[in-house]
Amino acid sequence: MLFIELFIQGLIQGSTYAIIAVGLTLVYGLLRVLHVAHAGLFTLGAYLGVAVTNQTGSLSLGILVAALAAGIVGMGIYRLVYEPMLNKPPYVALIASIGLYIGMEELFRLVFGPFGLSFSSAPLQTVVVVFGIHLRACQIIAVVTNVVLLGGLAWVAQKTRIGTGWRATVDDPQMSACFGIDPIKVRYRVFFAGSALAAVAGVLVALLTNLVEPTMGAVPSYKSLAIIVLGGLGNVMGTLIASLILGIIEAFGTIYIGDFLDRDAIAFAFLIIVLMIKPTGLFTSR
Amino acid sequence: MKKLRWVLVLCFTFSCFGTGWASDTIKIGFNAPLTGFAASDGKSSTLGAKLAIKQINEAGGINGKNLELIVYDDQAKASQSIPIANKMIGQDKVVVGISGSYSAPTRSAAGIFQEAKIPYISAYAIHPDITKAGDYVFRTSFLGEVQGRAGAKLIGEILGKKRVVMITLKNDFGKSLAAGFKEKAKDFGIHIVNEYEYSIKDRQFGAIVAKVKSDKPDAIYASGYYFTAGPLVSQLRASGVTCTVIGQEGYDSDKFIAIAGKAAEGVIITTSLDRDSKAPETADFIREFEKLAGYPADMVAASAHTAVKVAALAIKQANSTDPEKIRDEIAGISLKASTGTIEFNSLGEVSKNVQNQIVKNGEWHRHSVISDPKLLAPPEK
Amino acid sequence: MGLYEISLATGVGIYIILAVSLNLITGYCGQISLGHAAFYGIGAYTVALLSKMGWPMYLTLGAGFLVAGIIGTIIGLASLRVKEDFLAIVTMGVAFLFVGIVRQQEFLGGEMGISGIPSHGMSKPGYLALVCGFAILSILFSWYLKRSWMGFAFDAVADDEKTARVLGLDIKAYKLTAFAMGTAIAGLAGGLYAYYTRFIVPDTFGFIESVTILSMVAVGGIGSIFGVVIATILLVLMPEFFRFINDYRLLLYGVLLFSVMRFAPQGLAGFFSYLVKRKEG
Repeated sequence: MLFIELFIQGLIQGSTYAIIAVGLTLVYGLLRVLHVAHAGLFTLGAYLGVAVTNQTGSLSLGILVAALAAGIVGMGIYRLVYEPMLNKPPYVALIASIGLYIGMEELFRLVFGPFGLSFSSAPLQTVVVVFGIHLRACQIIAVVTNVVLLGGLAWVAQKTRIGTGWRATVDDPQMSACFGIDPIKVRYRVFFAGSALAAVAGVLVALLTNLVEPTMGAVPSYKSLAIIVLGGLGNVMGTLIASLILGIIEAFGTIYIGDFLDRDAIAFAFLIIVLMIKPTGLFTSR
Repeated sequence: MKKLRWVLVLCFTFSCFGTGWASDTIKIGFNAPLTGFAASDGKSSTLGAKLAIKQINEAGGINGKNLELIVYDDQAKASQSIPIANKMIGQDKVVVGISGSYSAPTRSAAGIFQEAKIPYISAYAIHPDITKAGDYVFRTSFLGEVQGRAGAKLIGEILGKKRVVMITLKNDFGKSLAAGFKEKAKDFGIHIVNEYEYSIKDRQFGAIVAKVKSDKPDAIYASGYYFTAGPLVSQLRASGVTCTVIGQEGYDSDKFIAIAGKAAEGVIITTSLDRDSKAPETADFIREFEKLAGYPADMVAASAHTAVKVAALAIKQANSTDPEKIRDEIAGISLKASTGTIEFNSLGEVSKNVQNQIVKNGEWHRHSVISDPKLLAPPEK
Repeated sequence: MGLYEISLATGVGIYIILAVSLNLITGYCGQISLGHAAFYGIGAYTVALLSKMGWPMYLTLGAGFLVAGIIGTIIGLASLRVKEDFLAIVTMGVAFLFVGIVRQQEFLGGEMGISGIPSHGMSKPGYLALVCGFAILSILFSWYLKRSWMGFAFDAVADDEKTARVLGLDIKAYKLTAFAMGTAIAGLAGGLYAYYTRFIVPDTFGFIESVTILSMVAVGGIGSIFGVVIATILLVLMPEFFRFINDYRLLLYGVLLFSVMRFAPQGLAGFFSYLVKRKEG
């Protein structure tokens, strides 16, 4: 019984990681940059989602506003930050992204205060008992959202024209341009989608913990980086599976090897062990 | 380019001299985490200290002069607090230093203040080694171990619960609380079923909650700060764990109740701020702080407020700005403050009652008081 | 020089050693390390433990240097297996693993860290001189390396690994050497830090610190010793000069990092050479 419950908790945790990580892996697949500032959009989504819900009483509106705003900011980040740096060595974009993330964290603190923001009356908290396990509605929604969104995304990538266009741009931007696919449009779409997803993840985490803080993006950002390597850079399905596996390992790890290793370190320990055995990661990159 | 150079020179000059202009005030140094992950506690403690300064100055100051609080941001880091301590002593010429920060920066700064023979008061940092830096260092709040022992008495004797699960925050705060609790658990008939640890960055406790549920304890002793305890308690209740949860002063903020909502009802903590206190020092502080800050008082604000009051009284009684005289006055002081009666032992630790507060109808209220000098005695060296 | 200035300068000196040591790895060999602070930490912990056991300073510092270098070599060996894309994230993993493991071990002080590290026994100005001495040594060593054949090999590896391999350069050996030297010097800096603060906690040596060191190298201009040193001095002192805008310091830091990378990715070194060119041309 306990094992099943731990397993389910792992899936829930992994689901939140997956929705954040997928944006990161899409951006990496496209531009080969580690978009650390992605976590700032996660936090932005959480703040906006909670703020709008508190003001209007509608969670759906909150999610919508959060996703749209983050998507637009994400596109802005591409245009202002990454596009000018495309022909520079990779560390330039990485450090610029880190600087941007630090700035965003600070802006959140200055604008919203250091104390954190909570729902005035948190939605989706009703408890459902499934086979003796208590689950809150938001927890079930998290897993369902994850499967639907990421499954959908993977399907789009494989089976639709847009998806094929995206994959072509990743493989060879110039060639795909010859075929009439506009790589720039693809990039904007990817940044919009990835950032909107990060914002949704932010709102989900806010529902799960009822606390939005300026620094809440830090831990997911590190873990997502480990996840996208494990899942194969640019591989949506791989990222989904890696996220869930990591969530489950963390759930069991914190209970049984918590004495030896910190929770955050578990993610990286897992990563390093996998890389030592299989240097290309769990799954191949796109 | 030339303009830029002039601007830089001006900035540099200002930063050098800016602090030295008002020279007929008595300067008290204050380090707190104003930015970084601990910014919320830094903000509260700074406001608590500023309130004390304001109240003292409005009442006429000390020995005819006004007090001035020199505040520095140490980001809760030891490497930041060292130059800050040196700056306070060397440049600002403070007569007393107060730490409104966490243990690591306080510990580093304490060593420097001790060497310079300037009194240093830790408002709420709990690392035992802080006061071991020397006879110039004092602490106005409980040592972690002492509070842990009080928790054992609260659970075992006052509440009568015997099967306890511990959820411990993995930092100096959580670990020293756990150590104190474990030390005295047997004395009060407590059987510790299991102990689980979590990191200060965790907000989702699904795995621990599942395991605790399967342990079926009578009570849970959980250490943490409001930003970890809030989510933890909320998730415990949501998963069907109904037993009493006991916390400590890290929970002591209205934010805890805001985050946990209904789940906060019935949570009891060991702390030093009694919201229902009729004592004028406490009631006044609570009222005035909310007026100044715009939000209800919490423990770090109260502790910083107390520390400033101790410093001010010592300076007044010494009737001088000689650090050695001030230090002697602090050592022998007896002051009724918002967080209790402050008197120091030979190590610079306080011995005072523990206020147990419970959340009732969405607010903190008095539950009980532990006044057991033997149990709560801090170490002498 | 007052107490304040001396303590500040000592801090700057330690960071210069750190930044220069990372420059060896990142700047010369093009390997992005996001875990450098772990070796800084290894040095600090080694020195803390040994000095508390009574070892004299010259031995503890030497031990810190060696232990960090040896562990660096081992990790370097492991990281050779992974591609450049992954290296940054693997080194990030090293940063987290170091902190994650250290904070769980009681004999390393756990969460509480190690306090009561014995004094270096020198006067404050004396210790500053020692730190500056090491800083100058590290700078000279870097400079010598750059000029020697090893430096040429490093540049080749950084510029184009494949071609360098074709030319017969043993890539692995050079990368490993760079890693070993960089981490060893970082360990030395850690030891100096331990005597400086006399109290260390695991959190000081985590990922954030690694990023801080990397940003000093990046702002200075990866590969340029002069640029890195100046950038380090500026970045360490800047928060001190700007204390009167306390609340916005971290924001400014983030903006600075971003702006330098966006508008002057060659860092200070690039900026200076641009100025020089303008003057000449």
